[in-house]
Amino acid sequence: MSGRILPFRGRPLSSEAGLEAADRVLSTPLDERVTRARTLHLEDPETLLALCGILRERMGSAPASVLEEAEFLYRFIEAPKREIGLFDERDYFLGETAMLAGTACRCLSRREEAWIWFDRAEAGFRHTMNAPGELSRLAYQRLAERFEERQLDLVIELLPSLVESFQKLGMLEDALKCRFLEGLAHVEKDEPAAAVGVFNQICAEAEERGSDRLLAEAYVNLIHAHGMLGENEPAIEASRRAIPVLKQLDDRIALAKVHWGLAILLREGGHYGEAIDAYRKAQEEFEAIGMRADIAALNLVIADLLLEDGRNLEALREISEALPVISELKMAPEGMAALSLVRESARRQEINRQALRELHGYFQELQN
Amino acid sequence: MEQPSSRRPDEIESVFGLTLDVIHSALVSYYRLTEEEARGAEEDLYIWFQRLSRRGGAGHMPPKLLRISLLSAACQYGRSFQLWKLGGEAAADEELNEVLAREPDEVAVDLDRRFDRERS
Repeated sequence: MSGRILPFRGRPLSSEAGLEAADRVLSTPLDERVTRARTLHLEDPETLLALCGILRERMGSAPASVLEEAEFLYRFIEAPKREIGLFDERDYFLGETAMLAGTACRCLSRREEAWIWFDRAEAGFRHTMNAPGELSRLAYQRLAERFEERQLDLVIELLPSLVESFQKLGMLEDALKCRFLEGLAHVEKDEPAAAVGVFNQICAEAEERGSDRLLAEAYVNLIHAHGMLGENEPAIEASRRAIPVLKQLDDRIALAKVHWGLAILLREGGHYGEAIDAYRKAQEEFEAIGMRADIAALNLVIADLLLEDGRNLEALREISEALPVISELKMAPEGMAALSLVRESARRQEINRQALRELHGYFQELQN
Repeated sequence: MEQPSSRRPDEIESVFGLTLDVIHSALVSYYRLTEEEARGAEEDLYIWFQRLSRRGGAGHMPPKLLRISLLSAACQYGRSFQLWKLGGEAAADEELNEVLAREPDEVAVDLDRRFDRERS
């Protein structure tokens, strides 16, 4: 017996042609793509590879659109069952598109959906040739989601094992990324000095590796940590370094966090009016990319500041804006308890500040 | 957010080129593919490997781990192809039956050790 019987599917695309095809796919309305799949080369692995790369890059600037696109691709590949590429490529693209959708859901605080997408990603990645690498990337996303749900002890318990996996696989940039969760855990535990130490180490390593994105994101977290310590100069220096890179990368999530960090700094310095302006700027950035949970969290922070300034009615208005969004989100029991107290105090127009602080403290790290 | 792989194409060419002899020998000597069948397999493996190196995860992996993935894919290809040719029957060749009974990943690790020995 000799030769191979392969289905005729047209000539495979080059990587350059795959990029062009990906642009054409993205400029075609979603409801026209399936019928035009052949001319769009939608089943070609080069097109899919390019699409996944573009969606990864857009995560920081347009998570809602990434979710829509990634879900479309997943459904397209999944049913009816299509032959995609060679060997494990269909499974890889199912895993990758599901992980992109899950990550976008995480950014958008759509928690239940995020977990479902991560399960789908695992189902795809399990069958790939380099499953340990892909499953480790997925494990990072799952830990990041747990962090946002404030399951801090579990994150701290599992983080070293994930770092070890990345190191064994030689995925050193991914190992470095895990350290962000370590630094953020310090922030969450109100240990800003320890957080500064971790983020400074990340900066040094990211600089050595030439990773601008990780470097800029580490600076963003340094703004927060220095802000919490009331350290003006290093916070402003960190923002000066982060902003140009983030603008270049169009990372709007991180840019919103810069405003948030500067607001913390202004607040610590007693400049309440300017702090509120900075929080509003962060809200505008989050609004533009559909991050509703973060907007609501900031409404609560602003309400707290307004109360500090004796502006009770305005504070009530802020809380009223936040409550429907917060109710819509699935929260842990302590968050729900604080929410009940705030809702009750808003009804009586006598705000329970401790409950408000517990609630916005709960949300503080949703941004990360 | 993740960054795409910054790996250079010539690095991938080099990993594939250095592994090709081991792949060919595994397909022909272990899995008993004909020369023509092995060449067809190697063409597919080349295209697949180029794309593997641009994936989200594998794109960040060092050459050694990429090579093991490549050898594993080659063994899976060789095994599946030979099983399909045998149509469910056992082979008359006992050595071939032994190779087919092993997990392709396991064979790939042996091949990688052989690669390391030959390069040292």
